[in-house]
Amino acid sequence: MTDGYPRYMRESIEKLESTREERAKTTFERMPASESDELLKKYHPDYREEGKREIRVGASKGEKAPLELLRLLEAPSLIDPADIDLGQVDYDLDLLIIGGGGAGTVAALWAIGEGISPENILIATKLRHGDSNSMMAQGGIQAADKVEDSPVQHYLDAMGGGHYTNVPELLEALTMDAPRLIRWHEELGILYDRDTDSEFIELPGGGTSRYRMHSSGDYTGMELMRVIRDEARNQDVPVLEFAPAVELLTDDHGSVTGALIMNLETNEYYVVRARSTVLATGGFGRLHVQSYPTSNHYGATGDGLIMGYRAGVPLRDMDSVQYHPTGAAYPDQVLGLLVTEKVRSIGAQPINVDGEMFVNPLEPRDVEAAAFIRECYGRDKGIETPTGMKGVWLDSPLIDVIKGEGTVARNLPAMVRQYKRFNIDMTIDPILVFPTLHYQNGGLAIDAQGATPVSGLFACGEVTGGVHGKNRLMGNSLLDFNVFGRRVGISAAKHASKAAPGKLTLNHVNSYQKALEDAGVDTKERSPLLIPEYRGKKVLERHLDIGVFL
Amino acid sequence: MEGYLYYPGCTLKTKASDYEKSAMAVMEALGKPLVEMDDWYCCGAVQSLTTDDLMHQIAPVRTMCCAQEQGETELVTLCDMCYNVLKQANLRMREKPQDLETLNEFLDEDPDYRGEVEVFHLFEILRKMGREISKKTVKPLDGLRISPYYGCMLLRPTEIAMDDTENPKVMEELLEVLGAQVIDNPKRTECCGSYHTVNRSDIVEKRVKAIVARAVDDGADAIALSCPLCQFNLDYHQRSAGYDIPVLYLTELMALAFGLEVGMEKHWIDPKKMLKEKKILE
Amino acid sequence: MAENKDEKMIDIYVMGRMYRVPEGLTIMTALEYAGYKYVRGCGCRGGFCGACSTVFRTKNEYKLRMDLACQTAVEDGMFLVQLPFVPAVRTVFQIDKVDPEEHDNILLEHYPEIARCVSCNTCTKACPQDIEVMDYVQAALRGDIDRTAKLSFDCIQCGLCSIRCPADIKHYHLAQEARRIKGRYIDIHSQQLAHRIGELHDGVYEEKMKEYVSMKKEDIKKVYDKREFHKEG
Repeated sequence: MTDGYPRYMRESIEKLESTREERAKTTFERMPASESDELLKKYHPDYREEGKREIRVGASKGEKAPLELLRLLEAPSLIDPADIDLGQVDYDLDLLIIGGGGAGTVAALWAIGEGISPENILIATKLRHGDSNSMMAQGGIQAADKVEDSPVQHYLDAMGGGHYTNVPELLEALTMDAPRLIRWHEELGILYDRDTDSEFIELPGGGTSRYRMHSSGDYTGMELMRVIRDEARNQDVPVLEFAPAVELLTDDHGSVTGALIMNLETNEYYVVRARSTVLATGGFGRLHVQSYPTSNHYGATGDGLIMGYRAGVPLRDMDSVQYHPTGAAYPDQVLGLLVTEKVRSIGAQPINVDGEMFVNPLEPRDVEAAAFIRECYGRDKGIETPTGMKGVWLDSPLIDVIKGEGTVARNLPAMVRQYKRFNIDMTIDPILVFPTLHYQNGGLAIDAQGATPVSGLFACGEVTGGVHGKNRLMGNSLLDFNVFGRRVGISAAKHASKAAPGKLTLNHVNSYQKALEDAGVDTKERSPLLIPEYRGKKVLERHLDIGVFL
Repeated sequence: MEGYLYYPGCTLKTKASDYEKSAMAVMEALGKPLVEMDDWYCCGAVQSLTTDDLMHQIAPVRTMCCAQEQGETELVTLCDMCYNVLKQANLRMREKPQDLETLNEFLDEDPDYRGEVEVFHLFEILRKMGREISKKTVKPLDGLRISPYYGCMLLRPTEIAMDDTENPKVMEELLEVLGAQVIDNPKRTECCGSYHTVNRSDIVEKRVKAIVARAVDDGADAIALSCPLCQFNLDYHQRSAGYDIPVLYLTELMALAFGLEVGMEKHWIDPKKMLKEKKILE
Repeated sequence: MAENKDEKMIDIYVMGRMYRVPEGLTIMTALEYAGYKYVRGCGCRGGFCGACSTVFRTKNEYKLRMDLACQTAVEDGMFLVQLPFVPAVRTVFQIDKVDPEEHDNILLEHYPEIARCVSCNTCTKACPQDIEVMDYVQAALRGDIDRTAKLSFDCIQCGLCSIRCPADIKHYHLAQEARRIKGRYIDIHSQQLAHRIGELHDGVYEEKMKEYVSMKKEDIKKVYDKREFHKEG
């Protein structure tokens, strides 16, 4: 099963093997702040000025964002408000949750806990319930519960990791709530890795000063998502699948009063009126910022960002995007898929073509990623794949050398399985990695209760900005959707109990359209994107848009 | 293997755990521990009577194949139902090689079963160990009058019977070694009503009443048996007729005679009261 | 259609219709190359979500095989059909009322059809995650919740097991309940976590947190740069 690499790559693997024994005893020193700042400026994609420009319209006009997002953010709506009949309300609700991933589902459960009856809630989601980046998170979830650790220490790690751009009140909420959410997980019956004394096995992550990462093999996100979804099913939360929102609805004062959702299979639209509306639509990895491959879910197209921004919610930190240092770089079939940070947490080292270490394995993610890019394109010490990609080795067999035979197989079953499908045994051979577009650091502005500045509209999870500043640490995204899903569920429920049913208009869409025209934006794009385009070039060139089924 | 490869069956892990615990304890004491198989499957509980229904032979054959792959030729089970199903399936595989071939072809992910494993009921093993049992009997069941009950599954059909179908003796022999007084019950090989307990408890109640009445009328202090379903029926359904005679697994009695107190936790009629009165328990 | 000379092309059959696609693609990317745009049948694209269950047969093979479209490379002569939804019934339960100590066999109560398992092992063969599905159903049947949970841990709930089962068992729903029971009742919950929650309740960290939250960037940077790393313990 180890013939997955071509001959010339094997030569580099031999070099790596020759240094393994020595490296097992060595740790590459952490980078001083002066060096890492320099490194980021020179090599991190966020610092490439040609990759972004200023937003021309809306609440965050003048701030910078990636071109791939701007193409959609500065585009007219998919719908023409004149075509829509808002007179007939199909769903009249207390709480509409847009997005059926981790954040939205957690919000639904806590809203029920706050007294909202399940039949007055609807989760409208673009794909299936649970289809989300939450499901794909592998490594773990941070929560400071060890004696030598504290929520304050957690705060400090995340604030430094985020380059001091995090919103302090949001980060406070994240770190202080964390232990309580893990306790909730225990009650729901989520399985965490435990030692024989039944205490959690906790690992370090990039940029963390303590062992704080709780995990469930390398299926942590899947275990959380499937249990939380199961609980939503037990509590009979109504879920409309293949039913994305296409625009929010607002009243005369600009407050959000619901959304227009559509059935992706029949193209029929439904009018939803809701006292509170939650955007929990996740991130935008599938926009492939700067042409990077992505570890993200098929549905991660930034729809909520677009809809929320049109309704008047400012964006923050959109100029930074998280590239996970270790995306798969070989074989081609898995290009961009995540290689969990846990691989480095438990001992694997990044190694260059000559079998040398070149960076500490657990720098914050942006620093680690920049170091990989420098190794490949600055120092030309990367390993080139048959299709011309470059990457560095991640010495996974080293884990077994340090921690004992069988550690890789036991702790990383999903990773081992993934590579085995393509004839690579990562317990014997290293794997080739290169940064992959992983997380939308910024997003919609919220307060500590998850309310946006627009009345009636709440947001939680990856669609929001501020919690992680310009760089998120490993294990804080699973935590984010739990902490802020809960907070939003509670605050949206409270709001719903006071709010009167609102008037339904699409006025804000018209105003936004006008602003685009005034700014001289001329584009053929329409947004939100909903489904990314991966069809073959040849087919698209010959595509007849004659609307047989439209 | 030092002891015997052991196939538990599902009921022994749940409702009939008294039986498993006591059997494990006495075999341990006898120096022939029961060693649970690495892998095993539900036997199917009832021998399928549809002759062309080969599908229902897969589970028992798979289990015997597991024994074969563990390098054993002898497989011991406690439950009468499991005994009956495994033994009949095994017999069919030997008598109808074409069935064995079909099954082996279906079970293509596993090695072929060769039909060489022998299935035993625990009593068959114990019967050969009379001397050892006698040696281990430190607290003989003096003065205890026990009525053995066999039911159907150990004795029918004749081809797989573990004792004389009409006049079985194995429990009588074992009880005598333990020092108990055997109360003969002519209804000891009659059916208890079996799975009618699920939806026709009236049938079960009638049959149980007849069996229990005979034991009580002849002065028995308790009934001994080995089938978990018979145990449930006799124990539970005698109460509708107003009886309260304890129904024990024979291994529970053997454990008592060995000075071990195991099992006796999941009985409808608590045997401990009677055992105290009889000074078997303190 | 002109084809890139470097690419080796192979023929695949999507629900019987032939398409010529480059070798080395996954089933998912091959269908996209051929012109399909997924609404159903595509999820995480990384083997975690079970959206892209695919039934296929390869050339000269009589057996139907099952796998995930995003994780399986296309082969020449492959016949494909996608199964993006499984209509399997699931038992609703309340997590605070399924203490295994208070039930004889809670899994059998909720999923009585597991007693129909004849050990045919078809479920195991259908599983794209190589889970010993039949073994965990058998464990459930004998009330061994811990084993059911452990054996089923890697389940992505694609439902292929239940589609194939001749006894109509709902393996993946049953396993989900087993894992939750283990997490709630069988695993012993963390003492250190309980202690920390007590501290939070008493407001132990509030003052220090307030100090950090109100610190200027330069000041907290100083604290950050001086922080000490705790070694494994």
